[in-house]
Amino acid sequence: MSLIQDSWHLFNRTNRKLLRKPFLIFFSLFQPIIFLLLFTQLFSRFASIPGFPADNYLLFAVPGIILQNSFTSAFQSGTAFVDDLKSGFLAKMLVTQANRYAILLGRISADSARVTVQSIIIICIGLAMGAHPATGIPGLLLMLVISALFGLGWGGMSIFIGLRTRSSESVFAIAGFLTLPLLFMSTALTPASFMPDWMQTVTKFNPISYGVDAIRVLMLSGFDWQTILEAFGVIGALIAVTMGAVVHQFRKVVG
Amino acid sequence: MVVKDLVKKYSEGPPAVQGISFDVRAGEFFGFLGPNGAGKSTTIKILTTLMPKSSGSVSVGGFDVDKEAHRIRKLIGVQSQETALDLDLTGQENLMLQGHLQRMGGQVLEKRVNELLGLVGLEDAAGKRVAFYSGGMKKRLDLATSLIHSPKILFLDEPTTGLDPQSRSAIWSYLKRLNKEDGITIFLTTQYLEEADKLCDRLSIVDHGQIVAQGTPEEMKREIAADAVSLTIADGLDLASDNALSEARQILRRIVGVTDVIYSGNGLTVYGKNGAFLVPEIVRALDNAQLKIATISVSTPTLDDVFLKHTGRSIRSEGHKEISVEQKKKRPFFFGRKQEVR
Repeated sequence: MSLIQDSWHLFNRTNRKLLRKPFLIFFSLFQPIIFLLLFTQLFSRFASIPGFPADNYLLFAVPGIILQNSFTSAFQSGTAFVDDLKSGFLAKMLVTQANRYAILLGRISADSARVTVQSIIIICIGLAMGAHPATGIPGLLLMLVISALFGLGWGGMSIFIGLRTRSSESVFAIAGFLTLPLLFMSTALTPASFMPDWMQTVTKFNPISYGVDAIRVLMLSGFDWQTILEAFGVIGALIAVTMGAVVHQFRKVVG
Repeated sequence: MVVKDLVKKYSEGPPAVQGISFDVRAGEFFGFLGPNGAGKSTTIKILTTLMPKSSGSVSVGGFDVDKEAHRIRKLIGVQSQETALDLDLTGQENLMLQGHLQRMGGQVLEKRVNELLGLVGLEDAAGKRVAFYSGGMKKRLDLATSLIHSPKILFLDEPTTGLDPQSRSAIWSYLKRLNKEDGITIFLTTQYLEEADKLCDRLSIVDHGQIVAQGTPEEMKREIAADAVSLTIADGLDLASDNALSEARQILRRIVGVTDVIYSGNGLTVYGKNGAFLVPEIVRALDNAQLKIATISVSTPTLDDVFLKHTGRSIRSEGHKEISVEQKKKRPFFFGRKQEVR
């Protein structure tokens, strides 16, 4: 019980901090929005190539951009953790009676909430541009769940790096190093069938592809449960691995 | 609070704490005085359940630090060396959050927050984000957050380091009040002599992870039982060579009434019953030996002298420089009494 209560207070703390700096939400959304606007122009002719799965590129791109945002946004979790570690605020929380895992849970839940809000904004922009999902409101809700869980998995990765290296620079460097290759070598922006063979193979091992594919079927066709459950399986495994690593590293740090 | 043979080793370097023992009684104001790197922060981290010890036994409030850490956390308030506040939140929000984490809520918490804002004089700034606070305000707020759950024992790791004298004396007066009026046991680390001297009922002087002296400030100073005459010797425009210093030391030791002469910083410190009486003797003796005094001052014993006596160094040997001969040249030569603040 105390875990939930303590987490709730720390969840509120993170959200309050974020609301004090709304430009942070804006800047982390800036890139996905630019991508959305530019890529839909740049790749608009893709839709006329035979074998392209969607009627227009916008419908195809919105799911990719949603995932890209959960992916990049997740790296803020790690840097925020490093800040608390360095400022001594983590130590300050640790000498209170609060449950230690609430420190993790509060942070993670707030970050998932942030990703969800950002996904809603992207979906709204997509709707305004004419990207109406085939599965309606239930489909949209499921998209949000997938993007939040995906953010949770990558957020775990960034928290692990942060706890391990104790440096925000490292988190940023690794994030910058991973973002573009992983994004382009996934199905986020291009159908797998358009890629060279070796890249198609990489795509199959890239968790981003699974998240994107699930959101994409919800956007384009309907509740294709095989694709959706596959995504939940891959994202679930991602969460298990990264969160396992986080808990392990967190135990080391808090002694 | 009882600490016995506490040792903390890190994977690299020498042990930070090398077998220290002390006890703090309920209601006492206890100090840990020592220079940077003496092992003060490490000790406080172990006592506050933040760091596991390597060996020895530690109990706080009667609870074992390894087995009953959660019970200890209920009893203690901690102010760390870094001012650990959330800069994005207001002063009031920081206090509320800390209260929530200490399992407080509702009107009890609200009342306590207002009470503490009053205590540290931050009512007017309560709604401002901490990022806009001055260093002194942050320290005061940090102190208030560590008091939110009315702890029985308060740990303070260098609470006034880096503060201006005014903020420092403000913190001192809160601490005195907490100790005397509310009966809170306080464990404080500091590198400031005046702080330890003014506040602490008893203290340990620590250096290189070991306790070099322990007792009340008065006891320790009485142990020295002498005034200190500090002097530096000039050689032309420069400070004198080591040879000249050791020659001077030999000469000074022979003066009647001198109990000890030790090297300190780049000069000598002479201990004797009556410092003011000794000055003319010292000047005469050195003059006869053709040694020129650059600076000389008399002080009654301080805790620094206690530290000096046990370690051969001054706590403030870094950063605290004597007036050099070059600077001296611009002013008429003088010597006289410089009474240090007690």
